[in-house]
Amino acid sequence: MELVLEADGLGRRYGGTWALRECSLRLPAGRVAALVGPNGAGKSTLLHLAVGLSRPDAGEVRVFGHVPYGNTELLAEIGFVAQDTPIYRDLTPEELVIMGGKLNRRWDATLVRTRLAQLGIPPGRPVGKLSGGQRAQVALALALAKRPRLLLLDEPVASLDPLARREFMQSLMGSVAESGTTVLLSSHILGDLERVCDYLIVLHSAEVKLAGPVEELLEGHRQLSGPRAAGARPIAGVAAVVRASHTDRQSTLLVRADGDPIDPEWTVRDVTLEDLILAYLTDDTVTRASHEAWGVPA
Amino acid sequence: MLIEFVLDGRSKVNTYVQLVQQVKQALRVGLLAPGDQLPKVREVAQSLAINPNTVLKAYRELEIEGLAEGRPGVGTFITASLHREALVNQAELRAELVDWVRRAQAVGLTAEEVTALVATTMRATFPASVTKESA
Amino acid sequence: MMWVAWRQHRRQALVTLIGLAVLAAVLVPTGLAIRGRFAELGLPQCLRQDTETAECVRAFNQFNSQHDTALLVGILFLVLPLLVGLFWGAPLVSREVEQGTHRFVWTQGVSRTRWAATKFGLVGALTLGAAVVYGLGMAWWLSPLVAGGGRSRFDVLFFDMQGVAPIGYTLFAVALGVFAGTVWPRMLPAMAVTLAGFAAVRVALTVLARPHYLPGREHTTPLVSTAGLDETALRGAWTISNGIRDGSGAMVAPGAQVICPPGATAPTGGQCGAEFGAGAYNWVLYQPADRYWLFQGIETGVFVALAAILLYLAVWRVRRIA
Repeated sequence: MELVLEADGLGRRYGGTWALRECSLRLPAGRVAALVGPNGAGKSTLLHLAVGLSRPDAGEVRVFGHVPYGNTELLAEIGFVAQDTPIYRDLTPEELVIMGGKLNRRWDATLVRTRLAQLGIPPGRPVGKLSGGQRAQVALALALAKRPRLLLLDEPVASLDPLARREFMQSLMGSVAESGTTVLLSSHILGDLERVCDYLIVLHSAEVKLAGPVEELLEGHRQLSGPRAAGARPIAGVAAVVRASHTDRQSTLLVRADGDPIDPEWTVRDVTLEDLILAYLTDDTVTRASHEAWGVPA
Repeated sequence: MLIEFVLDGRSKVNTYVQLVQQVKQALRVGLLAPGDQLPKVREVAQSLAINPNTVLKAYRELEIEGLAEGRPGVGTFITASLHREALVNQAELRAELVDWVRRAQAVGLTAEEVTALVATTMRATFPASVTKESA
Repeated sequence: MMWVAWRQHRRQALVTLIGLAVLAAVLVPTGLAIRGRFAELGLPQCLRQDTETAECVRAFNQFNSQHDTALLVGILFLVLPLLVGLFWGAPLVSREVEQGTHRFVWTQGVSRTRWAATKFGLVGALTLGAAVVYGLGMAWWLSPLVAGGGRSRFDVLFFDMQGVAPIGYTLFAVALGVFAGTVWPRMLPAMAVTLAGFAAVRVALTVLARPHYLPGREHTTPLVSTAGLDETALRGAWTISNGIRDGSGAMVAPGAQVICPPGATAPTGGQCGAEFGAGAYNWVLYQPADRYWLFQGIETGVFVALAAILLYLAVWRVRRIA
């Protein structure tokens, strides 16, 4: 299996705090991967490291087997749309297309023109005067014109309204089908991900909490409910408890299964992608610490 | 395009399974026949905003079941029909079912109880794989 | 890349060009008028004479009273290099980072070093062109005012307004702005740092360094003389310091110059100049007039070198911005 992105012990520090720490990942080719986590979890940091905008302070990251930092040749293979889709606002889409042609050796101007024409984007109006959705589409079209083998998108739909978000995802999925590009997109909006992504990376507090193909992850996790007393003992068929909540009588657990049949004392349900992400993002230690900080009982 | 896929956002059924079911349904009612081309992967992915791999998976599933065939560089085509003889008798079966439902109503079963009875009977009578898919 | 840099800066270039045109529209007619008046009053002949005639003194006074305000306007132009640094240099990198567009342009197929080299190169070249036109234009415009005012073009402020020195200042201001923008990647802080840094370096170099680019020459005249102060050596020169020294060479009256006609007595009684001790003499430390272009060259060289160092550091910083 061809690997597009590999990270080993990757870390990046800003001042004294680690924005990303001990990050190890393998992203196989042909996937549409979601990079999920709350704001400040290190999503942008990871993407910036992958596109060579910043240099690791620890470990290393490789894209198609090469270190991206300062590697102009490798950049030709990577399309990147940064958060808030920053492009020169006083330039027109037409001029940006020319600009991209001057800045890249491989540049499919016809592709980007066709795409922008289909979307009904006026070629002569400065980008700053387009709607947020149109601007995001221009940024995506510019990234795709490089004919990249890897497309990195940093919160591409975060600031878009639902209609523009859907239109963006439609163009993205259409072009992925056409080009077979591997995609890594960060998001804190969970709704769209289930249909779009087949690979999941969950980041929280600068660390990777979970990574793998969506299907395997869903298959490997179960939601259990049963009598509270049963929660105290190890449960047959459960490798680890990811998250537990209790009432006086009942326990609800989200667990990683080890493949054996689960103890029949428990009622077993399948998990959705959203259940899974939320379970891995909820951090009990944080709430405990904050209760202490506020001086209220947990 | 011969058929257009629709996704049920609230359904817990896997997206690819929904696609497979819709093709089968179209085959059953005769909307699709052997030789017809399924929508291109790119078109489906774009219009539904779903991962193209999901569409590919659904089409592969149809190939495995012997209902469709991928022709490299052209597309995926229907090769078999589900418009079987059994379905010709549908009207007769339906009439019998209506009678049965009326009887159930007469003995005081609610709609929910009728559905539950049908579901358990189906599970007991049909092989496991079929019930799972149509769940 | 060149197309990209030009497209991004063409408006700035146009504004600068218009600025230069406006400047020329003011300077050329006024300059011609001043020159006309200068010749009309017969001042060129006066300048050639060694001794001052009464007519010449009157003519000089007339000329100066008419044109001294024009000279003040000229001093305003001292800030022009700074403006170029603020509006050309400081936003160059800081605006990209502030608006996040660096993440777009630095992830295309052009290395950051090449991006920086092209942008800095284009802006540097445009700045250089504007500064050359401005510096030489000002030299032409100022020359009658300087001469008419009995001042030296070597004097502080006059030196700074004309010749090749403004080229050095302008390049330095732009480089400082660019560098500040790579360290403080927001436009306003970058501009503030440019302003403060430019003023500090200019004042420090003018006060502390420029008088010592070359060892000054000393000029002495006896206190008692019939000829008056002999200042032919000092014509057009830059006086760095002066005073009266006693026989042992110690400074007894900094900033003072005294000429006593032979046999004159001081108001306090006693012989004129006797209070300074035996053997006292007038002393002047100066940079001779013929060093003007040499000093212009040194000053320009210093600022161009500073600009080069700053640009090098800016490229180095650009490679590290995320």
